[in-house]
Amino acid sequence: MTDDIEGAVKRFILKEFLPGEDPAELTDATPLITGGVLDSIATLKVVMFIEETFGISLQAHEVDSEHLDTIGQIAQLVRAKKS
Amino acid sequence: MTAMVFGKASDAAARKDVAQGGIGIREYVLILVQLGLLTLLLRQFQIESAAFLRLALLAFCGFAVHALLPMRYRLAFFLALSLAGIVLVLDIVNSLWIVGIGLGLIGISHLPISFRLRGLLLLCAGALLVALRSKWVDAPALDAIWPILGSMFMFRLIVYFYDLRHDKAPVSPVRTLAYFFMLPNACFPLFPVVDYKAFRRNYYDDDAYRTYQVGVDWMLRGVVHLILYRYVYYHLTLAPAEVTEPAQLLQYLVANFLLYLRVSGLFHLIVGMLYLFGFRLPETHNRYLLASSFTDFWRRINIYWKEFMQRIFYYPLVFRFRRMGTTRAMVLATLLVFALTWFLHAYQWFWLRGTVLLVWQDVLFWVILGAVVVVNSLYEIKYGRERSIGKSDQTWRSLGLLTLKTFATFWFICVLWSFWTADSLSGWLSLWSALGGPYTFDALLYPAIILAVILVGSVERKGLRNTRASTQDEGSWRRGRLVTVVALLALISVSVEAVHQQLGAKVATAIHSLRSGHLSRLDTAKLERGYYENLLSVDRFNSQLWEVYTKKPANWLDVQNAGLKRFTGDFAQTELVPSFVSRTPYGTLSVNRWGMRDQDHERTPPPNTHRIALLGASSVMGWGVGDGETFEALVETRLNKEHATVAAPAYEILNFAVPGYQPPQQLMALDKALTFAPNVVVYVATGRELSRATSYLAEVVRKKIEIPFGPLRDIVARAGLDASMDETTGLRRLEPFSIDILLATYQRIVDQTRAHSAVPVFVFLPQVREGSWQEETPETLRLAKSAGFVVIDMSDVYKGQDIATIRLAEWDDHPNRRGHELIASRLYDELQKKRETIFLPVSRASKN
Repeated sequence: MTDDIEGAVKRFILKEFLPGEDPAELTDATPLITGGVLDSIATLKVVMFIEETFGISLQAHEVDSEHLDTIGQIAQLVRAKKS
Repeated sequence: MTAMVFGKASDAAARKDVAQGGIGIREYVLILVQLGLLTLLLRQFQIESAAFLRLALLAFCGFAVHALLPMRYRLAFFLALSLAGIVLVLDIVNSLWIVGIGLGLIGISHLPISFRLRGLLLLCAGALLVALRSKWVDAPALDAIWPILGSMFMFRLIVYFYDLRHDKAPVSPVRTLAYFFMLPNACFPLFPVVDYKAFRRNYYDDDAYRTYQVGVDWMLRGVVHLILYRYVYYHLTLAPAEVTEPAQLLQYLVANFLLYLRVSGLFHLIVGMLYLFGFRLPETHNRYLLASSFTDFWRRINIYWKEFMQRIFYYPLVFRFRRMGTTRAMVLATLLVFALTWFLHAYQWFWLRGTVLLVWQDVLFWVILGAVVVVNSLYEIKYGRERSIGKSDQTWRSLGLLTLKTFATFWFICVLWSFWTADSLSGWLSLWSALGGPYTFDALLYPAIILAVILVGSVERKGLRNTRASTQDEGSWRRGRLVTVVALLALISVSVEAVHQQLGAKVATAIHSLRSGHLSRLDTAKLERGYYENLLSVDRFNSQLWEVYTKKPANWLDVQNAGLKRFTGDFAQTELVPSFVSRTPYGTLSVNRWGMRDQDHERTPPPNTHRIALLGASSVMGWGVGDGETFEALVETRLNKEHATVAAPAYEILNFAVPGYQPPQQLMALDKALTFAPNVVVYVATGRELSRATSYLAEVVRKKIEIPFGPLRDIVARAGLDASMDETTGLRRLEPFSIDILLATYQRIVDQTRAHSAVPVFVFLPQVREGSWQEETPETLRLAKSAGFVVIDMSDVYKGQDIATIRLAEWDDHPNRRGHELIASRLYDELQKKRETIFLPVSRASKN
């Protein structure tokens, strides 16, 4: 499951926030928060998704563009939390 | 490592160097050329202040060195430049205070004690600073530093302390100091809340040249915003009382909101400058006029503020309330964030102005905005919102719908903004009576322009925000460069007098007006009011006046509290206190036993004496100059000196001027002056006579003060004015009669003066500050002539003078000693020219 963190997060983001978008456009490095894709509501939805899906819990100060701006960063945070 | 990539170095080496902050020679020169053009543009349009131009020059020259330095020295160099900038704008003593207090606060944040204790110590230090700022503890030496010190630490310290608690990244003292004292801050009390993490993380995280170039682009965009702001501020803003038709109401609403261009312009300028030093910060505003919903508006306007509130308050609150359910937690957190925004807004004004801003309109504004954002958020939680990272599926229908949503949001925000920035609720409510006015074709003008702008702006633009400039394809990048250089050259060209004069008189006049920063006619009027009463509305950034007020020392000359005047209970309302003496920083101010700011005089003129009674307001009384330095005293001395022969008559000028007196009040001063048997009555008008006379009459009606002059009473009756009406309605009713009011006032002065066998002379003395107040001058002069005055027009008395050398201070436009000398010299010459008409032989004119 951990190996597919990127895939799971990507599928969630495409389904929830970018329906109809070409999946190839959303890469692991696409800026989601600073790029304007994830606003505060969407960011909280992502937080809930990764907490439920990966069984981890996030702190309020981790909800920012340093930890959640790209799929790559999200995956890195999840891995760090799980290790 | 060399920072410059010269000539034909290998591609691999060049790429490595570029990634480490290097720049090619051609790109380096290109940036320098653009910065040169930008300097010219800042100078041509006098953007902000002379201090800012100096600071910009320091930054641009600093860039030239900084870009060539090895990376390890750059942050330290930026810090040194920032500190030099503070000294350049303030002075060494004030700079030391700022840096000293700042170091103290930063030092507390890093004490080797628990986080909680450090927090408590910071709160104690904050309380001490509050006591100093609010003057509970006297510290006059610190007066000049508060707005800048406040803007550096009031929010950034909160962000920094929060990150110290949670951020695992090692702290660098140089970076910390650079963050707090960052370069352009010394010039800007209103400064974006830069996020510390972004400041640290995005430092040189992209190609250096492209980062610098984006900085130039943003600074240019900032200048364009500021020029547009000036157009709105000088030419489109209206006072509520001037709004009588739907077309004017729409203009009022749009202009009032567009004044925000100043904030967005400044923020672009500031962040653009930081880009020159490698700080690739996110955008501060994202086309906020095109917000299509309330949540969208909140996300687009002042993004740094939104991010600050989100990181420090919103997410922690949501996490705290999560057990209630996520949606409820979000709603509650959003409402609390808006309540906190109100509080922090008041907190910000406290540091900038030193006064507590507790205006219920402010509270209501944030409550309403919070409520509509919550409703909008709930809708988005349920139905989501359109997002895109690359697809393009805009149809005419979706474009039309988006345009309509944006159009509706724009007008809603305009209305809410007008409510927020109104002087009073009654004034704001009375605005809407304009809807009952005539509906002309003009009423379509603003909706049509706004609709067109929104339609064009809503055409989908692909791509994400805040992406690295290095990811932009070469073609669009080159087009962007071309646009920047062409825009720079076009703006500079059009600013040249010889060029804009070719564009027709109207356009040339408009461009000329945009080339300097000054207060609008509405703010100039407010500044004048501020001499005599406390103003609340200068606590809003919609009035540029607040910036002037931040510089005004707390112990500045204060007409209201000087004890110079007393209430009379009649139409004049106030008069000078007889035999009052005060020592001011500008000399002694003495009032004689008759209540004149003058030497003592007998009620009956001495024999063989020309007695001149002088009527006017504060400038005539000599506010800000010592006894004997007023133009009245100077002219009197010169007349007596240069015409001193045994047979020649002596001259006496009796100064009946009272600060704050408006034209109708001069009728009371005239009645008093005539009891001193003058041969000449000189009425000195200083601009905006029509509006001031109208405003005064509305005021006395509102205060139920009896009007002792028949013609003025008749006008009030004709206008249907009564004491129950609010200020805006009263002014609106009287506005059509402004000429009648002033003419009736002038006519009475002339008639009464002539009835006492004296000569009525009208002197037009301009304000030291040029501005649109001058619009009333031709009509004023026409009315004075028509009333029968001997008219002396001194409109150009200050022409060619540097305003800074002839006025008391930036926040006080009264002429200083040099200003009075200029006036005296000119008035003396004018009196000589009209000598035969004004100074009739004493034997004829004297009433001994």
